[in-house]
Amino acid sequence: MKWSDRYLKKMKKQAAIEAANTNVAIKVDGLYKSFKLPTERAWGLKQAFFNRLKGIKGFRKQEVLRGISFEVKRGEFLGIVGRNGSGKSTLLKLLAEIYVPDKGSVSVNGTLVPFIELGVGFNPELTGRENIYLNGALLGFSNSEMDKMYDEIVRFAELEDFMDQKLKNYSSGMQVRLAFSIAIRARGDILILDEVLAVGDAAFQEKCNDYFKSLHGNQTVILVTHDMANVERFCDRAILIDDGKITCEGKPSKVTKAYMKLWN
Amino acid sequence: MGIFLSKKNHVLLSELVKTDFKLRYQGSVLGYLWALIKPLMMFAILYVVFCKILRWGGDIPHYPVYLLVGTVFWNFFTECTGQGIHAIEVRGDLIRKISFPKYIVVVSATSTAVINVLINICVVIIFALINGVTPTWSWLLVLPSLIELYILALGISLLLGSINVKYRDIGSIWEVITQALFYAVPIIYPVKMITTASPLAAKILLINPIAQVIQDVRHNLITTAAETTWEVSGMVWGFVAIAIVIVIFGISVLYFRKKAKYFAEEV
Repeated sequence: MKWSDRYLKKMKKQAAIEAANTNVAIKVDGLYKSFKLPTERAWGLKQAFFNRLKGIKGFRKQEVLRGISFEVKRGEFLGIVGRNGSGKSTLLKLLAEIYVPDKGSVSVNGTLVPFIELGVGFNPELTGRENIYLNGALLGFSNSEMDKMYDEIVRFAELEDFMDQKLKNYSSGMQVRLAFSIAIRARGDILILDEVLAVGDAAFQEKCNDYFKSLHGNQTVILVTHDMANVERFCDRAILIDDGKITCEGKPSKVTKAYMKLWN
Repeated sequence: MGIFLSKKNHVLLSELVKTDFKLRYQGSVLGYLWALIKPLMMFAILYVVFCKILRWGGDIPHYPVYLLVGTVFWNFFTECTGQGIHAIEVRGDLIRKISFPKYIVVVSATSTAVINVLINICVVIIFALINGVTPTWSWLLVLPSLIELYILALGISLLLGSINVKYRDIGSIWEVITQALFYAVPIIYPVKMITTASPLAAKILLINPIAQVIQDVRHNLITTAAETTWEVSGMVWGFVAIAIVIVIFGISVLYFRKKAKYFAEEV
């Protein structure tokens, strides 16, 4: 480990201790992230070799996040909105530690359960039951923790009679319902949801809405969505990201207005 | 190594292993028996060609079992690396969406090969007993040899697997290399054939850790007539073979740790 890494780690630890003393769940400080996008077919050794010979870099730097800072308080329901490609999903992946930031820091106080996509790792050849445990393990839950949540997940998904069926025999609606139930029943301190609200039929939607309302004040949630009605309905506070920067922050009504203005 | 003891990672690893294992032979009539049939078929072919037609066995006692050991350990090595190198690529969907220690994916990919080799070793032992080999305490030395080969295969998987994320040619290159390597390891021919042609070549050949492991196992399990690296090349070179394994593994782990942070972006 490099000295700078060690220093960073120490800083992170200190930040985490500070966060624990207050009621801050997530603290994001000056976050920068860029990606190297291949300009041509730089895939494969041959192309990499010729590119080097010709002095071509073979990639273009795309700055996705440019200095994002915000805080999420414990029990707060935060909405993140923005156009396609504005950097919302990248931000979530940085919070979930899937990506490493170029600059800046993320400190998370508590366990974080990320749903960048529903049903990650779902395998059509496994039964519903096996998929729940696999998905749980991927999210960092032990089998005994999953045992406790299992019944609730199945009940919420309304799939009691299908748990020993292989997932490939489920309808697509049943699959999302199962995935979504794991997402909202998985008990972490912080829940991250990316564009995953509109699942199931009207009755299931209703149930999900009620559930989200019941979370209010008890659970820290970060929700990325394009549905402004949901932002106003559920969120305590919202953030608008445009071109890698926070351009508006505050009450949901104010932020959704700013979001609408992006097109006018 | 705190990471190896973490409960969370342990659960994830065992779930992935279970899934791989369940899915591997699903939908096939013979199911798990295929894991046994494949090496036995290869053994049957080698036996007919090299024992009955070419008669390379010479005066080596229990030559058929001697051959079987070679193929079982060689298959273990190729299966392990073959699965391990592609592990990150195959599990790309997980790595892009969930944060977890990436080595788990590689270890779980190689685990099926480990289970297979353990079963195959049981088959070898049954064949050995049928063939009239008397059990000795030296049979226990097979385990450290197996561990050595696994560490080598895991090291290669970690190193080449992390390069393979960016340059997909690596997987194919490795396949070609293993084909060549097959003939560089005394699997189908006895070491004696090389020694009579050129003693120096035999010495060099046996510094290869794979050859060292296979000859050690044959020596400890079947017959002391199997020439080991320690006898042919000398004690020092025997330790060099083990050192090669440790160095490859060390470099691979360091390289993997450096690259693993960026797998989610690159895979």
